Amino acid sequence: MSSTSQKHKDFVAEPMGEKPVNALAGIGEVLGKRLEEKSFDKAYVVLGQFLVLKKDEELFRDWLKDTCSANTKQQDGEITTEKATHFNS
Amino acid sequence: MASTQLTDEELFSELKHFGFTPGPVTESTRPVYLKKLKKLRDEQQQRGSRAGKTRSTGAIHSPSGGGNTAGPRPASHDVTHLSSSRRPGRKSSVLGFSSDESDAETPVKRKGRQADRSPGFPQHPKIRPTTPSVANKSQYGATLNSTNSSPGSDRQRGVSLGWGVRARSSPEAEGKDYDESGDEDDYEGEIEKHSRSLNGCGASHLNTSKLAGDYSDSDEEEVRGPGVGDQQQERLVPNVRRSHPKAEFAFHVVGRGSQTGGAARQVNPPEGLNMVGNRREEGEGGKGKRRDSDTPGGLRSHTVSPRKTIYVSLAENHGGEAGKNNHVDGEDGAYRSSRFAIGLRPRFSNYSSLSQTYRSNHSNHTAPNHSYSQAVLKQKLSVPEDELLQQFKREEVTSSGSFSAHYLSMFLLTAACLFFLLLGLMYLRMRGSGSSEVDEVIKSHPFGSDFDELYNKTEKDLILKLLLNLHDHLAQVAGQYDCGDQQHLNRSLSMAEASTYLRSQNQDFDGFIETSLEWIIRTGQDVGIRLTGQVADEPLTDVSEISRLESSHPKMPFTCRFRRAFFTVISRVSLIAVVVGCVWSVVCYMKFRWRREEDDTRQMYDMVERIIDVLRSHSEACQENQDLQPYLPIPHVRDSLVQPQDRKKMKKIWERAEKFLAANESRIRKEPQRIGGADFLVWRWIQPSLSCDKTSSMNSKVWQGKAFPLDRRNSPPNSLTPCLKIRNMFDPIMEVGENWDLAIHEAILEKCNDNDGIVHIAVDKNSREGCVYVKCLSAEHSGRAFKALHGSWFDGKLVTVKYLRLDRYHQRFPQAQGSSTPLKASSPTLSTTGTMNTVPRLQHRGAGNSSGFS
Repeated sequence: MSSTSQKHKDFVAEPMGEKPVNALAGIGEVLGKRLEEKSFDKAYVVLGQFLVLKKDEELFRDWLKDTCSANTKQQDGEITTEKATHFNS
Repeated sequence: MASTQLTDEELFSELKHFGFTPGPVTESTRPVYLKKLKKLRDEQQQRGSRAGKTRSTGAIHSPSGGGNTAGPRPASHDVTHLSSSRRPGRKSSVLGFSSDESDAETPVKRKGRQADRSPGFPQHPKIRPTTPSVANKSQYGATLNSTNSSPGSDRQRGVSLGWGVRARSSPEAEGKDYDESGDEDDYEGEIEKHSRSLNGCGASHLNTSKLAGDYSDSDEEEVRGPGVGDQQQERLVPNVRRSHPKAEFAFHVVGRGSQTGGAARQVNPPEGLNMVGNRREEGEGGKGKRRDSDTPGGLRSHTVSPRKTIYVSLAENHGGEAGKNNHVDGEDGAYRSSRFAIGLRPRFSNYSSLSQTYRSNHSNHTAPNHSYSQAVLKQKLSVPEDELLQQFKREEVTSSGSFSAHYLSMFLLTAACLFFLLLGLMYLRMRGSGSSEVDEVIKSHPFGSDFDELYNKTEKDLILKLLLNLHDHLAQVAGQYDCGDQQHLNRSLSMAEASTYLRSQNQDFDGFIETSLEWIIRTGQDVGIRLTGQVADEPLTDVSEISRLESSHPKMPFTCRFRRAFFTVISRVSLIAVVVGCVWSVVCYMKFRWRREEDDTRQMYDMVERIIDVLRSHSEACQENQDLQPYLPIPHVRDSLVQPQDRKKMKKIWERAEKFLAANESRIRKEPQRIGGADFLVWRWIQPSLSCDKTSSMNSKVWQGKAFPLDRRNSPPNSLTPCLKIRNMFDPIMEVGENWDLAIHEAILEKCNDNDGIVHIAVDKNSREGCVYVKCLSAEHSGRAFKALHGSWFDGKLVTVKYLRLDRYHQRFPQAQGSSTPLKASSPTLSTTGTMNTVPRLQHRGAGNSSGFS
């Protein structure tokens, strides 16, 4: 399994299109499965959630934690990806 | 918390109250927002409890004051008026209302919240259509509340009085009805809540009596309004809490009234509660809002009850019924209906009875009522705010208590100081006065009974008086002498002088001089006169031997005494201070030296490492390139590692490094060589190269490429400000070394070396996010820097950049305001820009090492 930064690089290198959630940095199999159970099956859906939360990192973290019990590192990776994908800082 | 019972809209508005603009509340975002709301509420309560204490007390007072006058009815009037007035303009007045709410504690904040709330009440308007009668009812309800709760009635009245303006006459009648119902609800705080709610919903409630039928229906629906009302209430509750406690009361009044009004009331309560709740919360600081909610909870059952709890909580807050506040929140939930019931049930016992009656009616109205009441409440809040403010002003006098505490402590402090001062003076005085002693000598002399027997009374008196005189005189002389008064050359008096003096005092003394002196000799005690003979230390046995008399209890004037004491003290204190100062300076010096030592050692090791690096790389280069000599002259190495301006400074360090290398480094050999005809001492690297050694020691503070191309999607089209905030450049926990922030500076400057518009860089060493702040000359420069930095990888981390406002930047870094000279990287050959260094290969190994150069 590739590391988080590698995943991130791969992810941001091209438009996310229909990539699954597993492609997000910090989301591995387990978390990906949990997200999919909650019907966040594609990366863009998670991105959508980030946007719905008004790009508030803290809220997004909380949401990630609630939804799929992501730990801090995974959340960080997620957020970085999201942010990088959609400019916002 | 009752937050779980909030509807989406309520949650939304609640969050808005706190000044936080949430995104849409969907099923996925709901838990997040709930948590956020909880957190905000907690903060609110903390803040509110501090601030709201006075307010609540004040608020309480005011309502009670108000209540007294009119009696339940008038209060209700007010309430009703309020509610009614609010109702029509609900939408618009909501805004006003909000600001009113916040006025008590934080006007600005409130206003904001209010504003937030108004948009948050989009649903409320639907309640509006419930008919003006509802409004009336609510008003009535409000008044009813006030009237109902007898304990609360005062408050209610106060509240309603505050709102007074609106009081309508009609509600009176209704109020009566409500009173009855209100009595049932007699929660401690609930009454308040009611009033509040009533006020809030007031308008609607007022009409309850009249429109009970209609209103209740509508109210029921409104009140029930799924969660909406609750949400509103909840929202209101927090707001109310914050508001003056008075507001709470008002609300309670409203709330109560609403209850009596039945449907109408119910409508109001939800609204009122919300509003009230908010008010109260504000006022109370979260005292017992919850409990208040309980009372509304009772309403819940009727639809009114939920409101009641809210109101109650509101009122409770005011009354310091902290628990109630919670209820208010809970009540909001209650509005939700199901949840509310669960939470509030126990409390709602009172209300349940009431609610029962209204239940049928209210259920329909609940929903609409909620929204409406909330809106109404909001409106009402705004209107009564002024009055509340006034009422609160009264409360603020209580805050003087805190001042008195302050003054009290000051007073105690000054009293203690004065006490010690007096003590000192007394002490001085005591020391000085030996006269009392002499007086006693007259009365009770130390000469023993023999003295008494030998002489008759007059003689005794004479002798004693003589002695007294002598004593005084001597004391004076000694005192004057001691005080520096050079009138007397000697502290003691010679015999002749003493005799002369005594004779001058009283002729009769003449004969007794010697006798008295003899007696003094005879007695072993110290009578204050010391007799010395020709030879100093010999005890006297005979009067004839006496040559000098001296006082052992000098009498000094007070000022002199004080002065001496003062000087003594000062000298001692200064002595101690000097000693302490010496010790402390020694310690400081030691610390300083020690730190210097450490610094030097570190620098030496730094240098050693660099030398090793240089040599190693050179040897590698030599392996590839057979033309180079495998050794390097020492002076050349030094000159390449140390900048010319630093050479003098680093001389010592260099020498230490050399010595260290000679002693401890086995891979480097020092040998003399002849280069170009001159003899040099050179260093030769004698370790065969290890393949893995090269990269491991890399200090990887380098730029590693871009993650994504910057285009319109992920960067702003034009640069907005000249200030940038760069994130994720480092991890403060992981950083080691002293000057890593300088390395960061360097790295940024290198990356933007084509952009000579960077005037200030600040690394926030403590930020978890690894923030670096950069200021550029102009927006254009910052835009270029942005393009260069954003999305690049640095040291394995993805760097993001955003623009900062210039004034904020200056607030944070005032020293940046004046900087206008572009910064340059200290060494142009650093990092990954690829320029060749004098020492080949060093560059890409030591991209970060560049910082070492400076």
